[in-house]
Amino acid sequence: MELFLQSIVNSLIQGGFFALWAVGLVLIFGVMGVVNFAHGELVMVGAYTVWLLHAQNDVPFLIAIPVAIIIAMMIGLVMERFLFRPNRTDPLAGLICSIGVLFILQVIAHEVGGTGPAKQVAPPFNQIVEIGESLRIPMQRLFSLGVAIASLGVLWFFLTKTKLGWALRAVALDREASALQGININRISMIAIGVGAAMAGLAGALMAPLQNITPHMGHNVIITAFIVTIVGGVGSLSGAVAAAFIYAAFHTFVTAYFNGTVATICGLLIMVVVLIIKPTGIMGVKVSE
Amino acid sequence: MSIKNLIICIVILAGLVALPHFLAYNFQDLLIFLAVNVLVVVSYRLVTLTGEWSLIHVVMMGVGAYASAMLSKMAGFPFWISMPIAGLTAATIAALLCFPLFRMTQFYFLIGSFAAGEAIRLVWIYFIDPFGGSSGINNLPPPELGDIDFYEPIPYFYMTLIIVTISLFILYRIEKSRVGLTLNAVHWKAPLAESVGVDTWKYRSLALIVGSFFVGIAGALKVHYLGVVTPHQFGIGVMVFVLIWVIVGGYASFVGPIIGVVVLTVFDQGLRASGIVDPAVQPAVYGAVLIASILFMPEGLEGIGKRFFSKSSGENA
Amino acid sequence: MALLEVKNVTKQFGGLTALNDVSFSVEKGEIRGLIGPNGAGKSTMFKNIAGFYTPTKGEVIYDGQNIAGAHPCKVSGMGLVRTFQETTLFDEMSVFENALVGCHMTARSNLFSAIFGSDRQRQKIAAEKTMDVLEFMGLADRKDQLASELPLGSQRALAMAISLNADPKVLLMDEPFAGMNPEETNHMMDLTRKLQDKGITIVLVEHDMKAVMGLCGYLTVLCFGSLLAEGTPEEIRNNEKVIQAYLGGGS
Ligand SMILES: Nc1ncnc2c1ncn2[C@@H]1O[C@H](COP(=O)(O)OP(=O)(O)OP(=O)(O)O)[C@@H](O)[C@H]1O
Ligand SMILES: [Mg+2]
Repeated sequence: MELFLQSIVNSLIQGGFFALWAVGLVLIFGVMGVVNFAHGELVMVGAYTVWLLHAQNDVPFLIAIPVAIIIAMMIGLVMERFLFRPNRTDPLAGLICSIGVLFILQVIAHEVGGTGPAKQVAPPFNQIVEIGESLRIPMQRLFSLGVAIASLGVLWFFLTKTKLGWALRAVALDREASALQGININRISMIAIGVGAAMAGLAGALMAPLQNITPHMGHNVIITAFIVTIVGGVGSLSGAVAAAFIYAAFHTFVTAYFNGTVATICGLLIMVVVLIIKPTGIMGVKVSE
Repeated sequence: MSIKNLIICIVILAGLVALPHFLAYNFQDLLIFLAVNVLVVVSYRLVTLTGEWSLIHVVMMGVGAYASAMLSKMAGFPFWISMPIAGLTAATIAALLCFPLFRMTQFYFLIGSFAAGEAIRLVWIYFIDPFGGSSGINNLPPPELGDIDFYEPIPYFYMTLIIVTISLFILYRIEKSRVGLTLNAVHWKAPLAESVGVDTWKYRSLALIVGSFFVGIAGALKVHYLGVVTPHQFGIGVMVFVLIWVIVGGYASFVGPIIGVVVLTVFDQGLRASGIVDPAVQPAVYGAVLIASILFMPEGLEGIGKRFFSKSSGENA
Repeated sequence: MALLEVKNVTKQFGGLTALNDVSFSVEKGEIRGLIGPNGAGKSTMFKNIAGFYTPTKGEVIYDGQNIAGAHPCKVSGMGLVRTFQETTLFDEMSVFENALVGCHMTARSNLFSAIFGSDRQRQKIAAEKTMDVLEFMGLADRKDQLASELPLGSQRALAMAISLNADPKVLLMDEPFAGMNPEETNHMMDLTRKLQDKGITIVLVEHDMKAVMGLCGYLTVLCFGSLLAEGTPEEIRNNEKVIQAYLGGGS
């Protein structure tokens, strides 16, 4: 019972992270048509920033977070401006470039952090919230969950209630038609990758005190984000968020009661099955020709 | 193949036979891996001929490597039998994967192939029996033939060279045949190909299966020299290197990927030997090379070479 | 019995009914015109016949067999070949290679013969046949050019060459004269008549009324997905409903 309750709480927290990882990937793919393989590295950059500023240089955690967001966002903007924009007509080229960025960011992290064991950040909030008799949740996790949900809410508001958000969704729906309508695709792409990368940086910053920080932590992130994106239906943000929480629950429970590797294998298989059933995702059924 | 090309091939082969005798021991090792990698990129090119970029190729190499390793270690099969079975096993797994994977195209295929590959790799990691988990299977026996010592790099290199040359010849024949023509047609306009009777699904599958067969053999060649097979030899990071070789070399022609893998391997060794770049930083150099080649030479090194030569021959005319 | 019979074909895309219970039949050896204003469903009809779409309802009987929903490569293998409305070529392949792909059904080879060259004779025949087709379409002297580098008129001709090389019994031509100048159009009309003389049955979708009236013996008119009228060019020209449809439909 204790394990069960604990797992529920853990799945919620994991779900928040998964959703933050995935929404960025979905936004970038939706608006720009590029699969950003370096997305996991943007998360890693967020985590490293917090480690460097907060754990190494005593900058307050709440200041390190926005710095992490800004750095991830800047990297995203540079990628869009110099790598994705020149390759707009060839999405494969964009993807390959993002793989190049992935290598570079990993090496930079390696240089910044040096060799040695994985980096760790002592949780800045170390109270423990007790609910009932058996359920104890560290404050740090609650904080992460709260911030994750709040930022997803802000994103939802931005996309559905603001003019810019509408334009962004129009581009995601049909790039050519939007261009004809006079929407500036380059500007919208900058915004999409800015927002997506910021979400990734935020996720990394929030994760920093909760897990080991290594230059390769992005690998797990990108695999999970792919699974969540595909299962949620490519191009659908709400689908991705829902899938994030469902997959997090699935993953947490299989890990708790069985084994983490098996959980990931199952996740990958589910993703392949979804790809088989709905190869083009939920949005827009493309027929041959 | 024209007479001129035939002569070039013979000269290159003769050079390769002589080459290891001029190299230090560790470079002889390297030459073996280079030959294996040539087979990896050329077989990958066959898969990409239909226009689908798979991310499972290196995992298929692993499937072959594990098959050969397990057969020789657990069932005592000699290398000469386990190696072809390695190819067949990879081809069989690829054939099974065609059913889910070729319901997808483009990005969905890319990501689907990535997911399927990761799942296979995690199975190797998770099932310690029989795959050995993270540390894999070690003490693999080398091939045996008369009293040739295949622990030595030079005999192993010659064997690899023979197998790789035969494989390249077969792959070249396929590409230049009507089958290759049809694969290309499927790439450029699948619906048009279908409108004249081409079963595009069948041809995509064929490319994946044949490509996997040869990369499975490459896998067996690699691990029997190393003596050990682990899941980490076949991770996405290695796949990325294959992409880099193919793209930097130029994937529009048969020789492009070969040029890519050879030039980058030499470049890599040059970097190491020069000591300018810390080995830890090398992946970043590769990343930068990859980006630069996409931005500045979309046809790869091969394209640059071609442009250079056609220009000079134009001046002669 | 008719060679090609479309029976009560309905095609829906979500809520949109692109074809609504359409029936018509085409006799062996004729040149049939399938006309109608933009968006009438002509191309959709071709795709349903050729296996690119599966009809929501209805049957397509070809040579006595229901082929509705069969895979495109099966349909074309039976001799029913479509062309594409948009110029559709293997862009980065040479003109010769483009046309060569067309004779897939008769010249395809397997891995064994690819590696050992055991079907060299057959490939030689295929190459000769391809050259004949290119000659017929007036493309022989451009055979080594890249398809993407041809002028538009020649691209359309090449698209025809690819389809012809597949030895069609029935050829579904989707706006073959689009993008051609009057001279090229006249030339193509001659070629089309020659195809008829060779015994190929043709269904022609075309907006160029002069060409349609000149070539077709019988016309089928679609409008908003429904069959509007059928008749000889003369009858159609004077049909009130058709005149209305074209005036109302734009075109
Ligand atoms: N794949 C599709 N999904 C949704 N609607 C479609 C699809 N294909 C065609 N339609 C719709 O079906 C209708 C008929 O289209 P179709 O292309 O068959 O017209 P057409 O008669 O060939 O017109 P045109 O003369 O302009 O080529 C149009 O309203 C079109 O928007
Ligand atoms: Mg049309």
